Formats: sequence, structure tokens, C-alpha cells
Amino acid sequence: MRKAMVLIASLFAAVAWASPEHGEAAAGEHGAAAGEHGAAAAGEHGEDVPGYILHHVTDSREMELEVPLGKPIHLGTLPTLLIPFHDGACTPKMTDHGEVMPGLMEGCLDLSLTKHTVFMFASAALLLITMLVWSNRDKTKLVPRGTGANLIEMLVLFVRDELAIKNIGKEEGPRYVPYLLTAFFFILFMNLLGLVPWMSTATGNIAVTLALALCTFIVTQAASIRAAGIGGYLKHLTGGVAPWLWPIMIPVEILGLFTKPFALTMRLFANMLAGHVVLFFLLGLIFILGHPGVAAVSVPFAFAIYLLELFVAFVQAYVFTMLSALFIGMGVAMGHHAHDDHGHEGHHEGGASHDHGRAHH
Amino acid sequence: MAEKEPREDKPASDGGELGETARQMRAAEPYLAAVWKLTGGAVVGVLGGYWLDKWLGTGPWLLVGLSLLGICVGFYGFLREMARLGKRK
Repeated sequence: MRKAMVLIASLFAAVAWASPEHGEAAAGEHGAAAGEHGAAAAGEHGEDVPGYILHHVTDSREMELEVPLGKPIHLGTLPTLLIPFHDGACTPKMTDHGEVMPGLMEGCLDLSLTKHTVFMFASAALLLITMLVWSNRDKTKLVPRGTGANLIEMLVLFVRDELAIKNIGKEEGPRYVPYLLTAFFFILFMNLLGLVPWMSTATGNIAVTLALALCTFIVTQAASIRAAGIGGYLKHLTGGVAPWLWPIMIPVEILGLFTKPFALTMRLFANMLAGHVVLFFLLGLIFILGHPGVAAVSVPFAFAIYLLELFVAFVQAYVFTMLSALFIGMGVAMGHHAHDDHGHEGHHEGGASHDHGRAHH
Repeated sequence: MAEKEPREDKPASDGGELGETARQMRAAEPYLAAVWKLTGGAVVGVLGGYWLDKWLGTGPWLLVGLSLLGICVGFYGFLREMARLGKRK
């Protein structure tokens, strides 16, 4: 099913990129022939579909309400906050791509609010309100009343019992439940907020997912340091080779630590971005092909993709939390046997062979 | 690989509550780490050599040298790890 959808989406994408030239050519011909059944107009509309989609999914400083078939209503520009590390570090430079703000490496820290930041804060506020309202139930009764409270309890229990305890273990699991719950609900709210019309998906921005993955990374490293001790952790980083090889082995191991957060970053970012792009291409197909009849196919299809995205919002929050728990659990497991060789002795054989393995040392 | 002892699937230290995926991932983890040693050695050697060459302007020599060193260290680390893991069985 998913593969079929990706195939269809890529077909549509191919159509979208192929059509501007076709559209221009058609416009030229038809323009000369004084226009035939409005194909030239359709071509003009079709041309800016990819641009419109890119504008929709990219971050910007402008808050605007998009109007179908019209100019967006401008709500105002978000304030900029630039922190220069030395004088004149934050003056915009002219390059081939227009005016470009200097980056952090040139000494300019850009903390300006953007569209995605605004919706990230909005989802955080919404999450806070939701949790405060629905967790504040009658504590004298054991069973929560009401849909909201029950829904939240179900999700919380799911994260605790199915994700934390199943992946980290019974003793260590509950310790990491607060972090996992935060990650789960924050990602879920950002994903769902992005599906509301006129709002944008903060998780469709790679900076946001990278920051989330870095949080998991820090928790994972803290878990393994806590479990193995700082000595065991550092010993693990040396890769178990002779000291004169450490200059090569330590960078390798440190780089290896970052593969997991990288996968987390990419997975969430690509899923959320791709979903929105597919949704818009399906609707953009009406303008690319330039016939109202296309709507009869693409609108139901887009609606189906929208429902799928609703599901994906939950699935991606679940996957991120599950993998976080899995990585934390692997970090915890590393510590259990750090006093052996150098901590790589996982549970690869189960309890029986541990004793067996230990006899060799 | 042949095992004579009865296998206990659930690691005792985790109270036997682990899910299937977590158990499998934990079992695979030392091998995944070993694979990264093999590939990471080459990656670090090549990138480090390339970067140092650019920085010091020493032609292709550091790239060649560090790549070879990285690949060798990666192989050495990988084989050592494999021998160590194999010995446990």
C-alpha cells in the first residue's frame, strides 16, 4: 500500500516537473493562436505548483494565511533576534542567491522567531493546557471519567508499559518514562497541529527533529554513563584496541554514537515533509493538468492521504519514542557488563551463557 | 555456533520483561558495533586524511596514509571484536 502510494506520488512529481516546460511551450503556441480552451491559463497555474508547495513546507519569517487560488493574506513579519559575537557580524551579505544572513560560524547567532518556531511553541502550549485539564481528574476515584482523561491515560500507559518497560527493562524503565512521554506527546502535537489548515508542521523542519534527536542522544549517553560509570563509558569509547591505536579508534567510536540520532532525525523529518508534499501535489495536480475533472480523482485521493497522515502522525511519534526507548535500553544494557571486557558483552546469549562467557576471563 | 547448554531467552538482569524487538536488538548490538568499527575506520581515515591534506597542503600523501591506516585499524578492531565474541560461545 505504502509502496503504491510512493509510486503514485513520484509519478505525480514527475508530471509536475515535466509540465512547466510543456506548459510554457503550450502557452507560447496557444498565445500565438490567440488561446484555445484556456490551456494557456492552466499552464500558467501549473507552473507555480512546485513553488507553491515548497513555499508551504519551508520555514519563513512571514506569517500568512494561504488562500486557495489567491494571494496569501499577510499577517505580519515575525520579529528578528540576532546576537552578534563581534561587531558587524550580523550584516547581511550579498551572494549569488541574494541576501544571505551570516551563519553561526561567522559569529552571528540567529534566534529569530520563524513560522515553525511559532507552531512549535503553540503545540507546547496546547500540550500543556491539554495535560493540565485532562490530568486534573478526581483523585478520590480510581477510574478516570471522561473521554479526554481516558484517552490520555491510555496513551500514557501505552508509553510506560509497551515502550519503556518492554525496551528498557522493569527496573530501569520507569526512570525514563517522563522523558519518553514528553517526546511522544510533543511530537504528536506538532504532527497533528501541522494537519490543521493554515498551520505548519514543526516536525517537517530538520532543525526541530535534529534537536529532538539530540535530546534522545543526551539521555542515551547519560543512561549509559549512569549504568557503566564514567570509566566504563570511556573504556567503551576506546573500542578495545591497543592504546597506540586510540587516535583512530576513538573518532570512529564517537562518530558511531551519532548514527542513531541521525537515523531518528531523518526518519521523522522525511516522513512529515513527504506526507505534506504528497498531499499538496495531489491537489496541485488539478492545476498542473488544467482540467477541473481531475479534482474528481485527486480530491478523494488527497483526503485518503490526509487520513493516512493522521495515522502517520501517531505512528511517527510512536516510532520516535520506541526507538528512543530502545537506544536508552541498549545504553543501560552496556553498563550491566562494563566490568567485563569493555562493555560490549550484551545479552547476546541470554543468562546461561553469561556465566559461561565469564568463565573464560 | 553450536550450543550445548539450554538457552535461556530472557536475560535475568531485566526481569524477563523485555519485548521481542528489544531483546533482538540487544543481542545484535555487539555485532552492529563491530560492523561500524570496520566501516568507520575507513571513513575516519579517508575523511581525516582529506581534511588534513587540505589544511596542511601536503598533497595526497596524508589521505593515502591515513586511509590505509584507518582501514587497517578498522579491520583489526573488527577481527578482534569478532574473535572476542566468538570466544564467548
